[in-house]
Amino acid sequence: MAGELVSPTPALRGSARRTAALRLLRRRLIQAVPLMLGVVIINFCLIQMAPGSFLELMTAENQVSDPTTIALLRKTYGLDDPVWMQLLKYIWALLHFDFGFSYRQNMPVIQAIWIHLPATVLLMVSSIALAISIGVAAGVVASMKVRTFWDSLVSVAAMFFYAAPSFWLGIMMIVLFSVKLGWLPVGGMMKIGGNGGVLDILHHLILPTLALGLFYAAIYTRVMRSSMLEVAQLDFVRTARAKGLSRNKVTIHHVLRNALLPVVTILGVQMGTVLAGSVVIESVFSWPGVGSLLFDSVSSRNYPVVLGIMVLGSLVVIAANIAVDLIYMWLDPRIEIR
Amino acid sequence: MTIKVSRRVFGAGVFAAGVVGTSRGSFAQGTPKRGGTLVATWGGGEPQACYVPAGGGSSPTFSSSKLFERLARRKMDGAFEGVLAESWKPSADFKTYTVKIRKGVKFHDGKDMTVDDVVYSVAEIWKKYAVASALTDFAGIESPDADTVVFKYNNPTPEFFFASTLCSPVAYIVPKHVYAGSDPVTNPANNAPIATGPWKFKEWVRGSHFEYVKNENYWKKDEPYLDRLIIRYVRDPAGRAAAMEAGDIHIGVFNPVAPPDIKRLTGTGKFVATPKGYEEAVWSTTLECNMRNPVFAKREVRQAMFHAVNREFIAKTVYYGYARPGTSPIYSPNKEFYTADTFKTGFDPKKAAALLDAAGFPKKADGKRFTLNLLSAGWFQENGKVGAYVKQALEDVGVGINLTVPDRPSSIKRIYTDYDFDLAISNQANPSEPVPSTTQYFTTDGIMKGVPFRNASGYSNPDVDKLVASIKIETDPAKRKALVVEFQKIIAQEAPLLPLVELESITLASTKVQNHSNDPNFLAASWGDLWLAS
Repeated sequence: MAGELVSPTPALRGSARRTAALRLLRRRLIQAVPLMLGVVIINFCLIQMAPGSFLELMTAENQVSDPTTIALLRKTYGLDDPVWMQLLKYIWALLHFDFGFSYRQNMPVIQAIWIHLPATVLLMVSSIALAISIGVAAGVVASMKVRTFWDSLVSVAAMFFYAAPSFWLGIMMIVLFSVKLGWLPVGGMMKIGGNGGVLDILHHLILPTLALGLFYAAIYTRVMRSSMLEVAQLDFVRTARAKGLSRNKVTIHHVLRNALLPVVTILGVQMGTVLAGSVVIESVFSWPGVGSLLFDSVSSRNYPVVLGIMVLGSLVVIAANIAVDLIYMWLDPRIEIR
Repeated sequence: MTIKVSRRVFGAGVFAAGVVGTSRGSFAQGTPKRGGTLVATWGGGEPQACYVPAGGGSSPTFSSSKLFERLARRKMDGAFEGVLAESWKPSADFKTYTVKIRKGVKFHDGKDMTVDDVVYSVAEIWKKYAVASALTDFAGIESPDADTVVFKYNNPTPEFFFASTLCSPVAYIVPKHVYAGSDPVTNPANNAPIATGPWKFKEWVRGSHFEYVKNENYWKKDEPYLDRLIIRYVRDPAGRAAAMEAGDIHIGVFNPVAPPDIKRLTGTGKFVATPKGYEEAVWSTTLECNMRNPVFAKREVRQAMFHAVNREFIAKTVYYGYARPGTSPIYSPNKEFYTADTFKTGFDPKKAAALLDAAGFPKKADGKRFTLNLLSAGWFQENGKVGAYVKQALEDVGVGINLTVPDRPSSIKRIYTDYDFDLAISNQANPSEPVPSTTQYFTTDGIMKGVPFRNASGYSNPDVDKLVASIKIETDPAKRKALVVEFQKIIAQEAPLLPLVELESITLASTKVQNHSNDPNFLAASWGDLWLAS
């Protein structure tokens, strides 16, 4: 949803920038409505197309064979309605912030998701923070030391972490840091029976963050390196150098800020894949996040929960892209986004 | 990444005998030590609820069996032992059983367990959910006094059958004051149960673990030995192995790790692996013929399906030696009823081809006799591999095969609701008592559209129905065994559904864990007697 960039215009200042940002925010929120509707409809239809239903699994697990009971359950869950009616009812419920009821967890869907959401958000935020920090730093170093040992080292490392499947990387890190060295916990979010303090959680967060974040760090490193090299060739950088500014000053104040734009673009686009990646990492590290809930819900055809996670995931991606647009404007005030 | 539940992600069969064999024997040494926390896991995922009144599969059985108790249990030597029941006695006509209930048992909330709880549990939970199929002859339950309940049946009920019902994995005694007046399936207490067992529910951190603490008021004064029991869920077998190696998990039941990890971990001398503790829950991989397809009208065709398949190959290659060929609907560890003296459908491709020729299905110009849809239920990873082999084996005798491996919900729907298969590779876990868990796959009343793990083949044979009806009411053990043997002989020859292989499940435990694998259904045992050595 990142907007269309138009030719640089004279930079907006002060209140004009705030007004432009608010206008952009309003426009994006309006655009999000049909987008969300599309997400709901497509996901709902895709789930309907999958063979087997949660009712079949529910009656199977509860050994319900009485046709009357099954008919009653079908009616209770609205499964006798035509699909379009079920969809309309679901959209109407969503408009009232009702995500439905999860028979499997025996609680409202939003509550089931809410139990797991903080863990996933924590993992996503820490992984993205790690990826950006390492990716930007490594990309800058590689671009400043281009065609040297350091550039090669960064490139090889980036290639390795890009190519290594995150679940494999996770298992290897568990073997090394948890089993062999005993430095870090094997899995979970906190010490069982512990008080769940911040340090305890951070201790458990290190390996999953590395396993998920290093893949994205590799991408950002590559993008940052090439972006830095490209921007460094532009006229305004040459002018800055001609003015006698130091190399570091030119790099940080002129090259880096402009070279960040592609990284920000990728960040917005990849928010959804980070969420998807966390499903795998959560499995490897027994991280009690939404990923494990999503996996179980798909396996049990727990449609309300699957849809709920899809809708919330879409909201996260949309929010991230709006944030990206705003960051664009902040990074380069000349940019106007339509 | 494959995150499918793997029943056995086992390694080389060469170490099967070595590793497992060396660790057979006693897992209890010396005087029990008190205190400590045991962390356990199993080879599957987190349950949908801590307790599911209807069972709900192995996962909720594992989590709930540490909290709830049954009236009786079966011991490793095959004898029955009272748990919440002190004794039981049949009437002369075997139509009623008088059960003396243990006194002085309290629920975790401090309330006394009474005969009212037993009556409620049997009438409202067992009959409607937990063991409904075993209580078809059940006529009611009464409590003539404060220590006694009387089970009434419409027909004579064999003692072994009755005792087995009391021992059923989820035939729990639940607190009436918590469940009465509610829908047991959706009662919130299912996620924080109040029961009578050695462990009290403390916490469920979803996606991570259950935490149970010692029940200080447990009626067995010495138990539990441990202070705390944690059931941890690790979806990935490699993650489980790492957690065990790092000392985070002490014991894993039901094939917790991959076989190379079994070898590696037992090789350190810090772990033992054993197949003990699964005698009352023997798993198999089965091949089922859909009788609705006219091709299977002749039993020679059904027999040919089994003759074409090399069960030894499946046992050795797919299950790495942790399986043995199946021969009968009753499995070989069943000391009460198994017989090896049945019709043999061993590997003989030539005989399979001859049977198909004789049945009127010669090879056509394209080399095929007919084509079948083979559905391999995708709830266990290995089923897909068995399916791939069976496809090849049947194609070798001229039977065209379209193989599909749907996931669990799709498999359940296609096999048990839509009957959308010609051949199905599935799984069963059967206890020693054959009625109804084994027989319901073959009797006409087992054909229940939409109900899983029943008669999906559509096989209906009045002789079998009559035989099973006799098995249900025959109270003389010797005569009953003869009837069950007869049942096995008919089914082995009729071959609507037979086990391809009987599976061997494994428990992997730290050498510190004492008294484990001492119950024929250890996964569903209370674990009050487990302790940790220094």
